[in-house]
Amino acid sequence: MTSAPLRVVIVGGGTAGWMTAAALVGILKPEEVSVRLIESDEIGAIGVGEATLPQMREFNDLIGIVESDMMRKTNATFKLGIEFRDWGFKGSSYVHPFGAFGKAMGGVTFHHRWTRARLNGFASNIEDYSYAVVASRRNRFDFPVKDPEAINSTYDYAYHFDASLYASYLRGWSEARGLLRTEGKVRQVALDPESGDVASLVLETGETVTADLFIDCSGFRGLIIDQALKVPFEDWTHWLPCDRALAVPTTRSEDFSPYTRSTAREGGWQWRIPLQHRTGNGYVYSSAFISDDEAASTLMANLDGEPLAEPRPVRFRSGRRTTSWRKNCIAIGLASGFLEPLESTSIYLTQVAIINLLKLWPRAQVDPALASEFNRIVDNEYDKVRDFLILHYHVNTRDDSDLWRHCREMEIPDSLREKMALFEHRGHIALYQHGLFSPPSWLSVFVGQGRAPKGYHPMADNLSLDVIIEDLKTTRQRVSDRVDAMPMHDEFVRDYAAVAPASAVGAAP
Amino acid sequence: MTAVGGIRSVVVVGRDAAAWLSALTLQRAFGRTGLKVSVVAMPSLLQATDVYAALPSLAGLHALLGLGDVEVLGATSGVPFLGQRFADWNRDIPAFLHAYDMLRVGIDDVDFVHFWVKARAEGLKVAYEDFALGSVAAKQGRTVIDRNGFVGEAPIEAGYTLDAVGYVALIRRRAIQAGVSVVEDAVIGIDRHGDRIAAVITSDDQRVEADLFIDASGAEAVLSRGQSGVFDSWRELFGVDRLLSASAKALRPLPAFSQIAAFEAGWIGLYPLKDRTGVVAAWDSREMSDDTLINRLSTETGLSLEGECRVTGFEPGMRPAWSGNCVAVGEAAVALEPLDAVQLQLTHLGLSQLVALFPVSAEAMPEAQAYNAGLAAFVLNVRDFQLAHYRLNGRVGEGFWDRARSAPVPTGLEARIRLFAARGKIAQFDEESFQPQSWTASFLGHGLIPSSYDPRVDRISPEDQMARFRSLLGKVAEDVRAMPSVDSQFGAGA
Repeated sequence: MTSAPLRVVIVGGGTAGWMTAAALVGILKPEEVSVRLIESDEIGAIGVGEATLPQMREFNDLIGIVESDMMRKTNATFKLGIEFRDWGFKGSSYVHPFGAFGKAMGGVTFHHRWTRARLNGFASNIEDYSYAVVASRRNRFDFPVKDPEAINSTYDYAYHFDASLYASYLRGWSEARGLLRTEGKVRQVALDPESGDVASLVLETGETVTADLFIDCSGFRGLIIDQALKVPFEDWTHWLPCDRALAVPTTRSEDFSPYTRSTAREGGWQWRIPLQHRTGNGYVYSSAFISDDEAASTLMANLDGEPLAEPRPVRFRSGRRTTSWRKNCIAIGLASGFLEPLESTSIYLTQVAIINLLKLWPRAQVDPALASEFNRIVDNEYDKVRDFLILHYHVNTRDDSDLWRHCREMEIPDSLREKMALFEHRGHIALYQHGLFSPPSWLSVFVGQGRAPKGYHPMADNLSLDVIIEDLKTTRQRVSDRVDAMPMHDEFVRDYAAVAPASAVGAAP
Repeated sequence: MTAVGGIRSVVVVGRDAAAWLSALTLQRAFGRTGLKVSVVAMPSLLQATDVYAALPSLAGLHALLGLGDVEVLGATSGVPFLGQRFADWNRDIPAFLHAYDMLRVGIDDVDFVHFWVKARAEGLKVAYEDFALGSVAAKQGRTVIDRNGFVGEAPIEAGYTLDAVGYVALIRRRAIQAGVSVVEDAVIGIDRHGDRIAAVITSDDQRVEADLFIDASGAEAVLSRGQSGVFDSWRELFGVDRLLSASAKALRPLPAFSQIAAFEAGWIGLYPLKDRTGVVAAWDSREMSDDTLINRLSTETGLSLEGECRVTGFEPGMRPAWSGNCVAVGEAAVALEPLDAVQLQLTHLGLSQLVALFPVSAEAMPEAQAYNAGLAAFVLNVRDFQLAHYRLNGRVGEGFWDRARSAPVPTGLEARIRLFAARGKIAQFDEESFQPQSWTASFLGHGLIPSSYDPRVDRISPEDQMARFRSLLGKVAEDVRAMPSVDSQFGAGA
């Protein structure tokens, strides 16, 4: 059954295109695949997704990228979580960490014991029991240790980076491994009249490019998946009303945080992502609720550094393709769907698509069973992220703008409504293996946005209240003491992955 | 110390494993909080011939119940087994073993099955199962658990064949020791208020009240029948409607697997115990009468039966288990034929969910919806695992089996089969009782050979691949040699 190499063409060279290219040339052998990427320098990459999730490290490891090298070349910093300010209610602040809250004891999950103590007069901030949150609050960073008994093993980390530098980095990496890049634009997509498969692409130069497999990384336009194959887009704007963003970089801030910050505003939310040389900022908003001018002035009035450019506008629509893999075309990245960067899921969703494409790697004739399985997995991932994002908007008591009132009153998916009801009633969080966001993530958002549970699992009554409270105090102290022994985030980045001095000039305060 | 409005009392109405496992589980999990657990014990439906074949995961429930292997096996003439042998399900291919391997064997991150598919196409004659530690160990009569309860290091798990009467007696004894109270009586009335049960009335006119009721009465479903949800029958999917329980002499030496052999009207299972062999038949009454089946049992099994045979009617399906303040556990909630050692698993799944979602308020139980949905997802995957045997049978020309092959297949199973046929990959869901290696063993065993394999397999040269195969076979043989024989540990002489 050994066959000729599969001919693959990737259309579009943003983060999705270059991640796909790097994975294909990094993991598959030239006897298995020949990869060509077509992109145009005239078409700018979106590149607002500058914060990532810990899963990205698996991707980098898989294709063989050295972390410190990658961090140096992308001005990267570390990320332990996201701080949410003014979500839920004004004046609130919580961190959604990459890590656990406390430990199970006597078969009882931490937060049930915490709830029992709280309902019995021992109120405490749940953040104090999360190593990653406390480290974030103190701007500290170090790598987690392996010993599962150690308190500083209970977290994970990701990166903030310049996504366009990451794409360039992957481009260099891929081209060094034999990837053929073609500068140019696609003029026409030709379908096979009988099978409906994509047969070839015609470039503006007149060249015709044939291939076995076409990967659409062309972004929102969906050059193949949308324009040629007419795969419908399922619109989720009624749940996630934001549809525009303005992005602006500022000078590096004194506050060099190992976390992303998301601040809720009247018409959406503002992001703040510290990089080594500058800070990335932006305002994600709903054009139905505020104007572009209002958004721009709000953004520019709320920066903690000097702006380095004019705000750059981006337009989008939340939702996903009903089918990401149709015939011999696989849409990856924004061509397959979009969810706002509130939980830094964009690169993760791209990664999931790539990894599963590799697991289901087709032969020249695509077996529909492979595509079905791919679509099932991708759909599940999108649905899980969608519900988690809606939760942030829906659970609020803000009365200062129509957006927040709308989100509080809107109909939400049944899957989310049931989840919220069980959490509120008894702190129950279902565990699932497939799809993003484990129980600590849900816990942090529920509690952080003012929905601490009214009950707890009855097994928490098996322990005496004194034992529970004593354990809470001990855990809190252990976390605090160990975090104080960590290096500061800025020192750590400087020692581990500082960019070369020449390129760091712009970062000087 | 129970939270205000919490559950203070549970009454289990029922019999046999479902009732006593429910009572003991709840007593162990919540007894210290002051929860009172009592059982209205209906007359047992078990007879001396009955056996339970249980999946390895039963050990997880036993751990929660404070039960060890030595105690369980000792009280039940029990024998651990490493898998089940499916014979005669497909005419043209040999019997296969579904063993409980814990690890997926791979080469460079690629599952071994892909290498095997390629090698087979190139002429390899060694069966897939001969590369799997569990099935080789099972065929050679080995065990991972010894008679002292010591568990060996081999990455395979053992299921349990248990004498049903002895098992129920053990669980009942432990429940009573743990503080569960018992009323031996029949339920003659139910005091319902809307969808809630206030009390059950026993035959001597006692009102037994509780905050929560467990219906563990078996197919009778005395508390649940006719309540909120209808029983969703799977008669259309499965042909079997008769079950027989019988017993024969012990097998010498003791095998390390149960045997599930297909015959023209269904299947016959042999379950080795220390002092006898449990015999179960499941078949379609349209194809064969009870008498004919009983007369043919000795010829089909090659064993002479001892004692009574009992035949019962059977209908597969499930109903929403939790309605109001009553949770149906075991066969009162879900009925599947005893194929693939799933009987106690269905009870175990319900109890695990019930412990996770044990209500916190006697007044409002919003847990019901999540419980029912979660249990159904698990059960449907178990059902599909069973159904795959029927769907993929190869007994062409026999009415029962031809119907089984062409009967409608749920879309989830159809997609799993298609994906495996295309690429040797098992679609994975959150609510699985059977791991991918079990699905793989079953699919391949029934002759579903993938038409393509992971392209990364082609990176390894044929010589290198053969060397790896030899080394894998050598390692399996070596690991098996290090395991004790099940007969030496649990046989008559042990």
